[in-house]
Amino acid sequence: MEQTFIEILRRALDEELSRDASVYLLGEDVAAGGAFGVTRGLADKFGAQRVRNTPISEAAITGVATGAALCGLKPVLEIMFIDFATLAMDTLVNQTAKYRYMSGGQLAVPLVVRTQAGAAGGAAAQHSQSLESWFMHVPGLVVVAPSSPAEAYGLLKSAIRLGEPVLFVEHKRLYTMKESLVDDAELPPIGLARIARAGTDVTLIAYSAMVRSAIDAAQKLSRSGISAEVIDLRTLVPLDMATIADSVARTHRVVIAHEAVLNGGAGAEIAARIGTELFDELDAPVTRVGCPFAPIPFAPELEEALLPRSDDIVTAVRNLLGVDA
Amino acid sequence: MYRALWRIRLFETHVQRLAAKGEVPGFPHLSIGQEAVAVGVCAHLTREDVLFTSHRGHGHVLAKGSDLQATFAEILGRESGLCRGRGGSMHLVDASNGVLGATGVVAGNLALAAGAAWAAQATGRKTISVAFFGDGATGAGAFHETLNLAALWRLPVLFVCENNGYAEFTSREEHSNVTQVSSFAAPYRIPTKTIDGNDLPTVYAAAHEAIATLRNGEGPYLLECMTFRMTGHYVGDAQHYRSKEELAALKEKCPIERLQRQLLQQGVAQAELDSLAQQATDEVQQAVDGARAAPRPHPATVLDDVYRSPALHGTPG
Amino acid sequence: MTRRAVEIPKVGLVMENARLVRWLKNVGDSVKAGEPLLELETEKSIVEIEATLSGRLAEILLQPDQEAKVGDRVAWVETDEPESAVTPAPASQASAPKSAPTRPARADVQSNQRIRSTPVARRRAAEHNVDLGRISGSGPLGRVQLQDVERALGATDRGAGALSPMRRALARAMALSNATVPQFNVGRAVDMSTLQALRGEFSAGLAKESPKLSVNDFLLQAVARTLLEIPALNATFSGDPSSPDARIVPANGVHLGLVVALDDGLLVPVIHHVERFGLTELAARRADVVERALQGRLKRDELEGATFSISNLGADGPDRFTALINPPQSAILAAGRQRDCVVANNGKIEVRPLCELTLTVDHRVADGRLASSFLARLAQILEGRDWRVDG
Repeated sequence: MEQTFIEILRRALDEELSRDASVYLLGEDVAAGGAFGVTRGLADKFGAQRVRNTPISEAAITGVATGAALCGLKPVLEIMFIDFATLAMDTLVNQTAKYRYMSGGQLAVPLVVRTQAGAAGGAAAQHSQSLESWFMHVPGLVVVAPSSPAEAYGLLKSAIRLGEPVLFVEHKRLYTMKESLVDDAELPPIGLARIARAGTDVTLIAYSAMVRSAIDAAQKLSRSGISAEVIDLRTLVPLDMATIADSVARTHRVVIAHEAVLNGGAGAEIAARIGTELFDELDAPVTRVGCPFAPIPFAPELEEALLPRSDDIVTAVRNLLGVDA
Repeated sequence: MYRALWRIRLFETHVQRLAAKGEVPGFPHLSIGQEAVAVGVCAHLTREDVLFTSHRGHGHVLAKGSDLQATFAEILGRESGLCRGRGGSMHLVDASNGVLGATGVVAGNLALAAGAAWAAQATGRKTISVAFFGDGATGAGAFHETLNLAALWRLPVLFVCENNGYAEFTSREEHSNVTQVSSFAAPYRIPTKTIDGNDLPTVYAAAHEAIATLRNGEGPYLLECMTFRMTGHYVGDAQHYRSKEELAALKEKCPIERLQRQLLQQGVAQAELDSLAQQATDEVQQAVDGARAAPRPHPATVLDDVYRSPALHGTPG
Repeated sequence: MTRRAVEIPKVGLVMENARLVRWLKNVGDSVKAGEPLLELETEKSIVEIEATLSGRLAEILLQPDQEAKVGDRVAWVETDEPESAVTPAPASQASAPKSAPTRPARADVQSNQRIRSTPVARRRAAEHNVDLGRISGSGPLGRVQLQDVERALGATDRGAGALSPMRRALARAMALSNATVPQFNVGRAVDMSTLQALRGEFSAGLAKESPKLSVNDFLLQAVARTLLEIPALNATFSGDPSSPDARIVPANGVHLGLVVALDDGLLVPVIHHVERFGLTELAARRADVVERALQGRLKRDELEGATFSISNLGADGPDRFTALINPPQSAILAAGRQRDCVVANNGKIEVRPLCELTLTVDHRVADGRLASSFLARLAQILEGRDWRVDG
């Protein structure tokens, strides 16, 4: 049965709430289903304590979730937009991420912060950002960015069971994407990237919604005889350099694609790691595709103009290979 | 409790002395003069009750019953410290003793305490959560967000404000028109009391009353303890912003001297008090000696405990 | 204003790949049809390629040391022709990641002597002990990429005795000659005494800076005159003999190839319109093309257009030898060394300096009687005193 990203997330949460009594959901409007309906119906099934509405207080609710995680709960906190994670930064960066380390390993924070990011449908500058790279910069956090409903299902369950603070970044453009789950599929371990499409001439590294763009680009490239491999990173922290290394050792060329602005983005880190660790494998400069350095605009024409698309990946690959666009 | 006051006082005096000698890394914050709040509140806590404190938290941790030597070793950054030298003075954690943490970010601990209280409430445990903070924290949004949420959810969390009149280097009058921290409780319908935090019997009684309401499931409580920081904001602070007269008056208000006078009036022999003080002196000296002799952490362990599993680390080591 | 592509022309008979040596114009320079535009190194030599259209050199697509195939687009020229007058440039092969890069050139590229190469190319080259400097790069800015090293390794892996580009070209040309051109030989000894006497005489009258006259100069003039008199050999055979399209195409003027031996092969520079020049001028032209052939700096048209070649292995050469025709030419004259021989002259025994000439002829173009007549007339001229020295 095909289900949307939202339905599949709900199913994963439902199953984890049933499986583990220490799993709790909290966030603004989650009892009513949340802004996007992910948690719809779960409060009725599990009660207001397990699925807890909160005031609009990102700093406090992130702290509450962290404190509860220190005391045996496995909270799943919903921050409605990653843009609002700015309000929870002190807690996430100074408390949540550092607890295990600062306590010398005495304490852990088994917390999943589900949040939603990316541009779509004129959400504009304060509701469209891709800020995941900020969290890559904080030791102690795990950053997961699924690329499809089925991926989100497995990764969310794995994140809940991980026992570490996880920022789980959902892309709003994927919310309506439909997929069927494979029954009894093994849950993907956190930190293992996946080859979304095999190829031999160039490695396209992407995560979240850009994986689809990369696969589209690979299909277009195949028509002109260029075989592109697509790596779905799944997690930005930890970064699966082993999968990247294996691919680059075969293709010797890399294009990294993400929706976030290029400046200081995840691609910069990945490119640096490839440059350092895989230098002798490279047959071309590591190339990035991402947003220009500008806020996300409101008007549909402008939003469309700014966002990186599969054609941008195609162009990047052609330039890399020295082939006419 | 008299001995407990002395233990904290002497412990911090040693910190002050060793910090002056350069033996203490970082910048430890002392609570000399505020010991009565720590002792008076923590006297009512069980080992299962949890405590969150601020950057000025040595006293709370000791009052909660954490090991003197392990605490001192942590402040010295030793492997045998509470946090294996990873936390230090401002980040003391003693999980098995319910000390879930000190934080270096003003007001950063309040929501965590509320979260711990929520965990107890949600799982039906009868334990409570205590958050110590200074009056400086009331300027932070997190303070108000947390008060609102804790009241709304009727969380068993005791907010203990140590109002020493100074937020870091600036007096309260320059921070806020609201001089009484307890006045913030009313809008959120949180019960509150403002007391003399340098008088141990007063603190003890007020904390008893507050904690009883928490254990009854009546929601949070805000206890404002007026107190006096006898030292600077941090060790080495020359305190140019305080007058000589003010500093002299503080000596008069010293919680230990006050308790001693009260105990002597009640007929306790000076010799007995001297003996308790001596016991504390010996205990602390032993702990300090032990901590100073403790091994330093090995540099090769520096990446331990960033994540549970090294596999998650995923970065070039 | 419209843009037209500059493409690699076919140079010589069997050219497949060429390497760009340098551009003779910079981006922004004006270019006239017929002006030298770039230098290519082919299997045979470095040749200058002339512009075929006039305009402004707008963009360079091929960098020095990069390889290109016949027909590859290497530059854009902006011309003043109206758009409609121009047929669109042919699109380059759609599926070829191996073709020339399209990035605009940077001005400093040519001055940079560093060998541009990718890390994996360097690693692979080091692993196999291959000198990167000997590999031409196909990447942007002439960067040596993995595929270039692997191509070079592929060649090396065939082991000792692998062909140099020139040897390969020669092998192809000679195999083609032997397989497709039916050839026969006629031979005759020529008495060189008169020629040598005149050579000394003419040379004495030359200006000091002028090149000395060589036997080859006399051979060139004599062959040219013979070809004008017997034009059947001054032609090329074109097409499959069984095809109705097969033709014997007569040449316009006499264009002679002169075989120049090199260390690892040979080149046949062509002196055009030999019939127009006296010995002095022929000597100058001969000396020039031989010198530039040895340097590998012949222009494209200096390798083309001949119908007939002369091969002279010199004073230390064999008494006589036969040569193979260089397609699509019709004949080749092989000159043995000059040596004193005992000959019967009017019943008396004399010692004369003789040179044995062997003519190889394309049997599709001419037959034995014609070849014989040709050789006889040639010998007559060589033994005579009728030479044009100046002009």
